[in-house]
Amino acid sequence: MLKATNLKKSFGQLVATDDVDVEFGREPGEMVFIVGPNGAGKTTLVNLLTGLLEPDDGNVVLTRTDEDGETVERDITNMPPHERVKAGVVRSFQVVHVFEEMSVRENVRTAVLSEQDLLGSAFSFSDEHGGVEALVDDLLERFRLDDQQHVVADKLPHGDRKLLDVAMSFALDPDVLLLDEPTSGVSARETDYVMETIVNVSKAEGVATVAIEHDMDLVSEYADRVVALHQGGVLGEGPASILETDDELRRVLLGVGA
Amino acid sequence: MSDDDHQSLKAWGRRSYVPATTTRDGDRYVRVSRGMVLSPRRIAGWLALLALFVAVPDIASLSSSIQQRVLHQGVLFGLAAVGLNVLLRHTKLVSFGHAAFFGTGAYTAAVLASQFDVTSMLLLLAAATLVGTLMAGVIGFLSLRHTGLYFSLLTLAFGQLLYAIAQGQSYLGGSDGLPVRPGEANRATLFGVELSADVYSVVVYYLTVLVVVLALFVMWRVVNSPFGNALDAIGQDRTRAQFVGIPVRRYVLAAFVISGIYGGVAGGMYGLVQQHVRPEATLYFLRSGEILFMAILGGFGTLVGPLVGGVVLVFLQDVGRDFTNYFDALTGIVLLLLVFGFPRGIVGSLQSGSRLRAAVSTFSDDPAIVGEWATEAWTSLWAAVGRARRNLRMLVLGVR
Repeated sequence: MLKATNLKKSFGQLVATDDVDVEFGREPGEMVFIVGPNGAGKTTLVNLLTGLLEPDDGNVVLTRTDEDGETVERDITNMPPHERVKAGVVRSFQVVHVFEEMSVRENVRTAVLSEQDLLGSAFSFSDEHGGVEALVDDLLERFRLDDQQHVVADKLPHGDRKLLDVAMSFALDPDVLLLDEPTSGVSARETDYVMETIVNVSKAEGVATVAIEHDMDLVSEYADRVVALHQGGVLGEGPASILETDDELRRVLLGVGA
Repeated sequence: MSDDDHQSLKAWGRRSYVPATTTRDGDRYVRVSRGMVLSPRRIAGWLALLALFVAVPDIASLSSSIQQRVLHQGVLFGLAAVGLNVLLRHTKLVSFGHAAFFGTGAYTAAVLASQFDVTSMLLLLAAATLVGTLMAGVIGFLSLRHTGLYFSLLTLAFGQLLYAIAQGQSYLGGSDGLPVRPGEANRATLFGVELSADVYSVVVYYLTVLVVVLALFVMWRVVNSPFGNALDAIGQDRTRAQFVGIPVRRYVLAAFVISGIYGGVAGGMYGLVQQHVRPEATLYFLRSGEILFMAILGGFGTLVGPLVGGVVLVFLQDVGRDFTNYFDALTGIVLLLLVFGFPRGIVGSLQSGSRLRAAVSTFSDDPAIVGEWATEAWTSLWAAVGRARRNLRMLVLGVR
């Protein structure tokens, strides 16, 4: 479980994250959507949780159950991103970040090698680790990328690039996965395909997933819980049905009601 | 060869530790060592190249126009360029100060030989490598706090700092430099054996061949390893690399040190070859520029390209010096041709999938295409002249 308390971040006069308390992954495989208007501080929150930004105040604690069934708490507030990834907090970006000159397979392999702590090996071939190749095959299949595995990333259609980005994140064996707008820029026909693929894998793997999303139809369909942000603070949270029932939420998010 | 064929060929090459001379069914490919699968033609090519490399002292004695010394220098600067290429090709960082490690290696050998009378060739080389490595560690640690332009400028600054020190310190011989002529024979020894002048130059040459072949093999293994994969990842998307769990700064420093090792070895060898080390020839920032140029000239997307670039550039400069006083202009023209015509460099342009290769194959399919090319070239030239005339008229007469 990833828990933030009293998280604050300002850029000059602008308070981007104002005293936020949130919890993600209360149960394995929980699918949470962060919603809110532009400038609500959604991306800043994800950046603070994943280490791209450091908070002015507050802390981030990662709780996980180890092999003996004991609960271990780790304060990761000031941990650099690459260590957070190893600790189990993984993210994707709104703008796709993949290794553009590598093939789809090489992209996923890089992530798997990292997860297996093999990237430091300078005297083996990167494609000869049998266990790694098997994991790569499995991921490619789950994300329906196996037909395109030898295509270079920057030649890939946009929807598949998004999936590749998420596949790489899953390859890192996360406890909590934060996705910054996984469907942005994806054509309307493909959004369901992309989101469905993501949700299926995260449910199957029990990965707590957090996604920023603007498409309220997708949110209603797939959310276990919704966290609504407004002007840097948490405006409300609860099951997807609050998007129908909470009047203030509806006014801020959808501009309806009085 | 299709992608899938290529993949299965690669997998076949990885499977065994034992070099095999058997060919795979159907296609004639030979597994030279684990992970290295070559067609018989390529093996023949490599062997011919190696034989040529080994035979240089004999060839040089036949003809005075081929100077072993020139080729030898080219190979050594080229080796430094192979090291630099780790940064250029994989992490996509441009270092303008790579002569620093070459010079450090050369000066280490020179100081040990002239001030401490160390005579063993191998000891001098080992020390040069070690000190070059340490220097790369220090400069890398300080420079890699920045990326992009500031990184390049810092490497340039550190390089010039070392140059200034070598120029100014009388202990280092000032601008006259230091000789590498230890012992009674005035030459370094191999396994305690003193060598005559003729034998010395041949022995040093073969030592270089050995070092270069070994260095290329090690580099080939490294760039195809998971570590090389991580460096590629860092070069292609630094942010993503971090969020894939790569400790970016540590890995880039490691890459920087590796490239420094190559500079150090090459510099140490250079000291042994030239038997005299001057700041101008080893540490000056123009040397750094040349090393960078060699990598680009030979093709920085390839493993051996920088080495080829080294030999070609040094040879060009040598020939140019005989022809004209403006031999520096020659390198400038070559660089222009390269950037506009052959951005993938010499070796890169000869590889399959390159524009040159494609052009050659269309030509052999249909030689009449030359006519079309000529028309095309003429049309585009004429259009360019037209644009230039219009622009000039606008500059002189203003826009109407």
